[in-house]
Amino acid sequence: MSEKSSELQIRSLEDTDLGGITALDEKIGGEYRPEVWERRIGYYLRRDPEASVVAEADGKVVGFMLGEVRSGEFGLEEPTGWIEVLGVDPDYRGQAVGRRLADEMLEHLRRRGATTVRTLVDEEMGGIAEFFEKLGFEPVPMRSFAKRLS
Amino acid sequence: MNMTKTHLPKSFHQAVLKWKDTFLPDYEFLLDNWDKYFPKDPKFELCAFREMGMCSEIECGEMKGKPKFTRSGDMEANQSSHLLGAIKAQASTEFGSIQQHQLTLARAQEEEEQFWILRMMAEELRHGYQMLHLLMEDDWSAVSEQSGADMVEEILSMKTGSHILGAFNVDFDSFVDNVTFCALIDRVGKYQLSMQRVSAYKPMAESMPQMLREEAFHLAAGVVPLRRWMEKAAQDSVYITTDDMQKALNKWLPRGLEMFGDERGGGTNVRYGLKPMKNAEAQEQYYEEVGKVVRDLNIRYIRARLSELNGSQAEALLDKILEERNTQQGIAWRDLLHLPHMEFFRRRGVPAFKLVGWEGEQFEDVESYLNHLAKHLPDAYRSGRDFKNYVELLTGVHNGELELGHAVRALPSLRRVGGVCPCSRAVRWVAEEPPPKGNGSDGDNGADSIS
Repeated sequence: MSEKSSELQIRSLEDTDLGGITALDEKIGGEYRPEVWERRIGYYLRRDPEASVVAEADGKVVGFMLGEVRSGEFGLEEPTGWIEVLGVDPDYRGQAVGRRLADEMLEHLRRRGATTVRTLVDEEMGGIAEFFEKLGFEPVPMRSFAKRLS
Repeated sequence: MNMTKTHLPKSFHQAVLKWKDTFLPDYEFLLDNWDKYFPKDPKFELCAFREMGMCSEIECGEMKGKPKFTRSGDMEANQSSHLLGAIKAQASTEFGSIQQHQLTLARAQEEEEQFWILRMMAEELRHGYQMLHLLMEDDWSAVSEQSGADMVEEILSMKTGSHILGAFNVDFDSFVDNVTFCALIDRVGKYQLSMQRVSAYKPMAESMPQMLREEAFHLAAGVVPLRRWMEKAAQDSVYITTDDMQKALNKWLPRGLEMFGDERGGGTNVRYGLKPMKNAEAQEQYYEEVGKVVRDLNIRYIRARLSELNGSQAEALLDKILEERNTQQGIAWRDLLHLPHMEFFRRRGVPAFKLVGWEGEQFEDVESYLNHLAKHLPDAYRSGRDFKNYVELLTGVHNGELELGHAVRALPSLRRVGGVCPCSRAVRWVAEEPPPKGNGSDGDNGADSIS
């Protein structure tokens, strides 16, 4: 483990992370989308700012995990934690940033009364499914369906 | 996470609702349209939340490790007195901000931004309600001649100009103020609530978590519109320019800094276990955080002006412009936002009434300093009573007619002028007439602090 990860700080999402998350998203996906993150981060801050977490190293955002507890989604009435967005700086991969984000987030979701945590994974995105499996997530018999309208 | 929900006694709950009818007339409109702007969010409810299961031992100060207090009567008199002052000031700020926001709420250009502010106002009402609940629930007679009911009446009677902290006595001039206030003054609130989360008084500590959660959105209700305005300003929008935003920053940042209290103080609160940080330490962290916000806004501006740049290139360009103070790739130093110096335009704390300019430059005489302020403050603000009051006091201090301590204390203060009904106007804004120089000054450079 490098020195970088030992300086890693995991904390709740704040408004001042807007620029850092936008930059990290651009680094990962290659697209600059400030308006998308203004809307999304505004949403998560409004809903439950402690449920979403950020990894910071040397004053820079190097990872984030956004989600919340909801009930009634897809007929699932039990309080369910949903992990909806995850991003880790490629320069910090392999340093347990994702695991530390997940540990913090799952602990909060548990305190908020969630009995189950769920997420959806794009199978074409290599490594994500394995990441969640390592965290103890298991595939469940719910399938994702989609239909293009245009 | 286990939260309890309680209400004020019926007559005082009704008094808050009556206050709301006067100062937050769009409350019902907000509730009626809640699902349009905040689908799936729990409906707003006027009540006091307490978080259970928090640390039950005092977390800082001389009594660290001992059980937290559940009744103010069990605390030392000075400790309880400090706590009471903090609760009253906190309550005052919550109600005060609603009165300010209401002045210019209707002037928002975007309905979404207006609804964000309106939601924030409703949540500030709940925060004020939460503080009133602390006043009503306990017996403060050991440290106050006022009953809890009288204290509630006093707070509900305040209007802009009579609130305990200076920032809440400054009128808003446009919707730019609503948004800048959220980004800057609510950020002070975040620091105060975070510090009070460890309070040795358990009911106070338990009141903070839900308030902090709501405060996080209040900051976003400021920062997100500012980012959007910076993008539009970069595209030469005529609506809100960077100059408008800079002047609003200059207007509010000094008041935000002063809300932490005198830079030399705060030790008593730490000693009593009421807060974990002294004033100067919290103030410096705040100033640094606002600097981060300003930098982020500048990056937003640069990327909107020069879409061909990536993030690293934009950061490098910003550093170059700031360092060389010139124009690079069509973006001038003056096109960007800048953090005013910590001692600029101050009237409380160590720099009170010093002639310190926007960049930290020193002025030799009041006239040139006022000309400098005129260039850096919003026109509408300079035509208001708050600035006039400041100019008169500044002039008095520098021509030797006023002692500094008197000038600091000569800002509007509270006076009871009668009245018993919970929603009467029993307290008025009264500016004390400062005595001439040499007439009884104790040299106390007072603190505008909730600490």
